[in-house]
Amino acid sequence: MIAEPTTVAGDQGVSVATVRSFIGKHRRKSWVDWYVAGFALLIVAIYGSDFLASPLSRLSKSASHAAATHAAATQAVAGAGLVIGVGVGLLLLAQALGPLALSPADASWLLLTPLSRRAVLRRAALTVAVLAMAAGALLGVLALAMAGPYLRLSGSGLPGSWLFLSAVAGAGCCLAAVAAEALAQPRDRPRAVIRAVCLAVAVVSVAGGVAGERWSVVTRAVTAVFGGLSTPAFATAALAALIVAAAAWLLLWRQLASFPAGVLRADSARSGRALLAAQYFNFSLLFWIAEDNHWRGRLLRSRPWPTLPPVLVLAWADWRRLGRRPWPLVMLAVAAVVPALLGIAITGPRRPDLIAVALIAGAVAVGLQGTTATKRDQDDPALLRLLGVDAGRALVARAVLPALLSGCWLALSLTVLCAAGTLSGWLWPLLGLIAGPGVAAGVLRLARTARINPADGGPDTPMGSTPPWLVSRMLSFIVAVIGAVPLFGALLKGEAHATTVIDQGAASVIVLSFYLMIARAISR
Amino acid sequence: MAYGEVVVLEDVDLTVTAGEVVALTGVNGVGKSTLLSCLAGFRRPADGTVSVLGGPPRDNAEFWRSVAIVADQPTWYPGLTVRELLELVLMTHQPVRGWCLPADDLVEIFGLSARANASPLSLSSGQRQRLSIAAALARPSRLLLLDEPEQSLDAGFRRELATLLREQYTANGGTVVMATHDHDFAVTAGSRIVPLAEGRIVAETEEADDRIPADDGIIGPVP
Repeated sequence: MIAEPTTVAGDQGVSVATVRSFIGKHRRKSWVDWYVAGFALLIVAIYGSDFLASPLSRLSKSASHAAATHAAATQAVAGAGLVIGVGVGLLLLAQALGPLALSPADASWLLLTPLSRRAVLRRAALTVAVLAMAAGALLGVLALAMAGPYLRLSGSGLPGSWLFLSAVAGAGCCLAAVAAEALAQPRDRPRAVIRAVCLAVAVVSVAGGVAGERWSVVTRAVTAVFGGLSTPAFATAALAALIVAAAAWLLLWRQLASFPAGVLRADSARSGRALLAAQYFNFSLLFWIAEDNHWRGRLLRSRPWPTLPPVLVLAWADWRRLGRRPWPLVMLAVAAVVPALLGIAITGPRRPDLIAVALIAGAVAVGLQGTTATKRDQDDPALLRLLGVDAGRALVARAVLPALLSGCWLALSLTVLCAAGTLSGWLWPLLGLIAGPGVAAGVLRLARTARINPADGGPDTPMGSTPPWLVSRMLSFIVAVIGAVPLFGALLKGEAHATTVIDQGAASVIVLSFYLMIARAISR
Repeated sequence: MAYGEVVVLEDVDLTVTAGEVVALTGVNGVGKSTLLSCLAGFRRPADGTVSVLGGPPRDNAEFWRSVAIVADQPTWYPGLTVRELLELVLMTHQPVRGWCLPADDLVEIFGLSARANASPLSLSSGQRQRLSIAAALARPSRLLLLDEPEQSLDAGFRRELATLLREQYTANGGTVVMATHDHDFAVTAGSRIVPLAEGRIVAETEEADDRIPADDGIIGPVP
């Protein structure tokens, strides 16, 4: 091995822009990559605009305070609750992902170098700022739209300045909040405080949004605030938000120069894994990342294995895991009001399809909380072999928890929908509970999806070759929907009968049994 | 040193002199990687002090000009080839002052000649590990922190790497602190072996007689 010592070159360090230009020059993106990204954006834009068309249409209506009805009042309050809840949810998501994080490759190759830390982080900070500004502006406009008929308008309709100032105020609030999160990022305690405040605001806003349906004092108080809004109020709010945002970003900009590498490395790695998992709809992996992040610095108290048959011992592990950390379940239980909020605030009974989508997404997410061990055994069946348990029988024992979780969440969510007046009749919660096992079939399938190589080709479509992971994940959702077809059918019709309950029971038993039979046959 | 409630390192007193190769050994979870993280400044000890190159790890340009670390598997830029990645590393450490190996030599020494124009994503795990270590030697440094460098490497190359560290890196003024499970690798590299058990340093052994004598402290208590 021969090597010449190197003692090169000029006195000046290279700029980050030059380094990025070097990296960018060698990035080889084909037209298919751009086509797929553009197509995905187009689909998101179409569905997003369809979803937002209903609330935004309220901006163009020349409603008056006198025309406001009870339904309009509850819609306004629920809408405000939903907007605040979504905003806080986005902040929590941003905190979970960083909020300041580099791409994993940048964190590997640009962070631990003599390059200016601020210059390395500039792009990430600008991206976060632009995203926060866009989300904040949209939420600001939506909040204005939710105020609906309670805005005191002149005869000429909604002033353009209100729209602009709402967007500015929303953008300013989001920018300030994200900057505060980034400032707190290197410190555990402020990070925990921000998280706790966000959670508290989310719970209060969401609960308040639904409470408006039952307690008129809530609607009166909130609509009175809406009624008092004027141009100076909007201007003050926008100016205050901008000043706070500017101050927070100035502080952050100063801190970027010495932002700790250790924090950035850890957060960039976690957000990189999470984005990859989200990109491939690998929800089980997302939950695992959150779980791993939580337990990394904590001591687990040992407990002896229970004296149960081996099959039940395996199933017990997931019950034990949930018992150790019940907070995600509590938060998901609070999230059971989201379909009701969507019903009241955005869609109303006229668009039950969106409520159905929220219900199936929530039921699957809750069910997945009980499938961690199922996923682990799929990736590594060592424990199954050690205990000498048949994989099929283990899966049957493990189906109980996700079925129960999904069923309970659906029942809770449908109860809230009934309480909010979107649905009527006492059969709905029962229907939800019975639908749990049907949904659990899809949940188990999703958790048991084998590791997929993204490089594998899949069926050809007009968009190009469909990746197999996408086909597999979509099939799991389809199985979950099939397992709850009677429930969703009743939801679309807006009425549930005793026969619907019987149909749902039969569907749940058939779909789950069929799935377990196939899974057992394959595992042998 | 603790992760939340979990105390990982306790009563660790370690001084490393310039030109040494120090191998931290011990079972999984004993705190080897955590100690390296402390030296890199990623984590601060709950109690006590860490001094690297004459002061606490500063996490600034000057510090990262002097310290190189190979820890977890890095993430690769999809568009860059093996050779381009090594060029990138050199570029990010301009102006280059001090000893390092040119990219062409590294590609040859680390057995990557046949894949020099391939994407790192297409390499085997062993080849990727070779590239990670090569990247650390593609720029000058005074202290090299290696977390289990022997991972995925074949026995023959482990010996070559150990020799390279001992005969070239330390001979040119570098100091190596590494966490390893491979005793032979540590011995071949001429290491002072520092065994860790239950978060503490137990009796040290001197495995090599041909260490380069050093006169100034690289890692040690703050004066």
